[in-house]
Amino acid sequence: MSRVNTVLGPIPAEELGLVAIHEHIGYGMPGSELDTQWWKSPERRYEETVPKLRQFHEHGGGTFVDATGICNGRDVDHYKSLSAKTGVHIVACTGFVGGDTALPHFARASVDYLTRQFVHEITVGIGDTKSLAGVIKVGVSRGGRMTDLDKRIYRAAARAALGTGAPILTHLAIDAENAIAIFAEEGLPLDRVLFGHVDDGVNADKTRDVWIAEQGGRIGFDTFGYETELPDPPFWARPRKERLDHFLRFVGGGRLHQVLASADANCSPLGWPGVKGHTVNYIFDDLIPDLRDAGLDEAAIKTIFVDNPAGFLTLQK
Amino acid sequence: MSVESKTVNTVLGPVPADDLGVVSVHEALLSVVPGAEHAFDITIDRADVFGTLAAKLKDFRAHGGGTLVDSTGMFHGRDVPLYEALSRTTGVHIVASTGQGPEEMLGGYFLTPQTNPPTPWPAEKFAGLFTDEVTQGMVVPRVERRGAAGLVATTATRTGMTPTDESLFRGAARTALATGVPVSIRYGSDAVHDLGVVLDEKVPAHRVVVGGLDRRDAVAAGAPLETARRGACVALDHVGTEDEAHLTDDERVALVAELVAAGFGNRVLLSCGATGVAKGHAGHDLPYSYVLTTFVPLLKARGVSDADIRRMLVDNPRDLLSAP
Repeated sequence: MSRVNTVLGPIPAEELGLVAIHEHIGYGMPGSELDTQWWKSPERRYEETVPKLRQFHEHGGGTFVDATGICNGRDVDHYKSLSAKTGVHIVACTGFVGGDTALPHFARASVDYLTRQFVHEITVGIGDTKSLAGVIKVGVSRGGRMTDLDKRIYRAAARAALGTGAPILTHLAIDAENAIAIFAEEGLPLDRVLFGHVDDGVNADKTRDVWIAEQGGRIGFDTFGYETELPDPPFWARPRKERLDHFLRFVGGGRLHQVLASADANCSPLGWPGVKGHTVNYIFDDLIPDLRDAGLDEAAIKTIFVDNPAGFLTLQK
Repeated sequence: MSVESKTVNTVLGPVPADDLGVVSVHEALLSVVPGAEHAFDITIDRADVFGTLAAKLKDFRAHGGGTLVDSTGMFHGRDVPLYEALSRTTGVHIVASTGQGPEEMLGGYFLTPQTNPPTPWPAEKFAGLFTDEVTQGMVVPRVERRGAAGLVATTATRTGMTPTDESLFRGAARTALATGVPVSIRYGSDAVHDLGVVLDEKVPAHRVVVGGLDRRDAVAAGAPLETARRGACVALDHVGTEDEAHLTDDERVALVAELVAAGFGNRVLLSCGATGVAKGHAGHDLPYSYVLTTFVPLLKARGVSDADIRRMLVDNPRDLLSAP
């Protein structure tokens, strides 16, 4: 029986449809909630979010994976209402975007404690929402190298993944040698790990995407749309064609079955201005047309957006 | 609105300074290690928290307490609506604080912001964040502002002030200058040095309270007397704590007597540093009334006069919290 945890309950993987594998309803660094410059009324949060999800649904989008970590404004009650009202399946995560987004209670915690936190959120529920996390988020702190805390989080995630069958999704795939060493020590098969953001403008050159794939990892080209051509590009933006060529080169290298793609957009950012006009629907408006223009057939597109995510998200029990 | 002359910002609004009564300046109501609110094994039941805190505040009042200052800042469990209800219910004035620290307790928003490179916040930005909590109201995160902070509190890293701690101290000092609220500092490894940082911002020394001066390392370094000489308030704020790091109560009494004898009776503040309800840490479970019930008799037995005791419990904190 295939099973994927969404905020409204487990669903069969067969119902996921087209998946946006790395997105955010709203992301803010921990502490940003203290700075009123970012506050939005609930009316405005819904106004900014609902049309994007509805459009995603109308385009044929099935599932939105929210990769917002525990201390980053993750708001599962909000996601539940959005999912129920728009018909988009939303998968919430446990874990942390990186050690530098884990607040002191977790930053001081042992691997064992972090493991129990993640397992609880996957098997019992997130807070008092009763919603089960469907993926485990981990990541590399700012600075380019895994910190001691990053490593504890990766190890705890590996143990939680083994214990629950949930997959791991990473923020950044730099310093992958350290990550893969931890997963190997814990005995976690690397097809349970999506190494994300291999395509971002800051880190693409130092990310060993092919090597990670050779080790068996899944590869996330999941910052599509953060382009230097935008009027307000963030520092991690990249020229549109450069990213697309990178992706096509990688897929052309026989790695179609290891690749996932997404836009990493915020529907309604929580602690930063966001990037105007960049939404999850980049997948339909720009990315899939670009892939078709580049000669990918419908079967390949289905592999990237439907089959690969289904295999990845299905709890391995 | 800045603090008016002779009024103090409480969670229920400005209160005449003369109405404060006995004040405990360094206490905690609900104390939550940042992040613990998300922990799988921690429950925060508001009704339970309220019941526990109300009982402790009533005990404080029953023993003569008038005002309790929650000096934990804006990011350690502060719950302004809860404190309003507690104050209404118990009759104890509650002063809540803005501020944050030390560096380790900050969220990533302040330490690794979404800029390249991720430069930690400078003093000026902390000053803005804290000042708004006095002039516009304290944040209930992403919901509203309520009330006005009556104190800006910050802390340095125990092993020594970090550059970000220094930004916090300078930001807190500028908040005090801009708004008239006092600044509370808990030093890292060197009390006099850390006091010097806020004084360097030109905050009048009498607007500063230095906590933790009943720590053994500070006493060994002569910091309580030196702090008083510089004109700042000396908080002996671990009354009732007797451990390796702190004086015993008997030694604390001797220190009080020494400060009074040196002419600094107008600089001394007494507090327990008690934690009303702790989440994510052990806290420090002493009654808020401990100073009144247990420590005051020790002071009297030592010969400290009633007038001096009243000064430490009523006049000094009143002047700290209210003098513009």
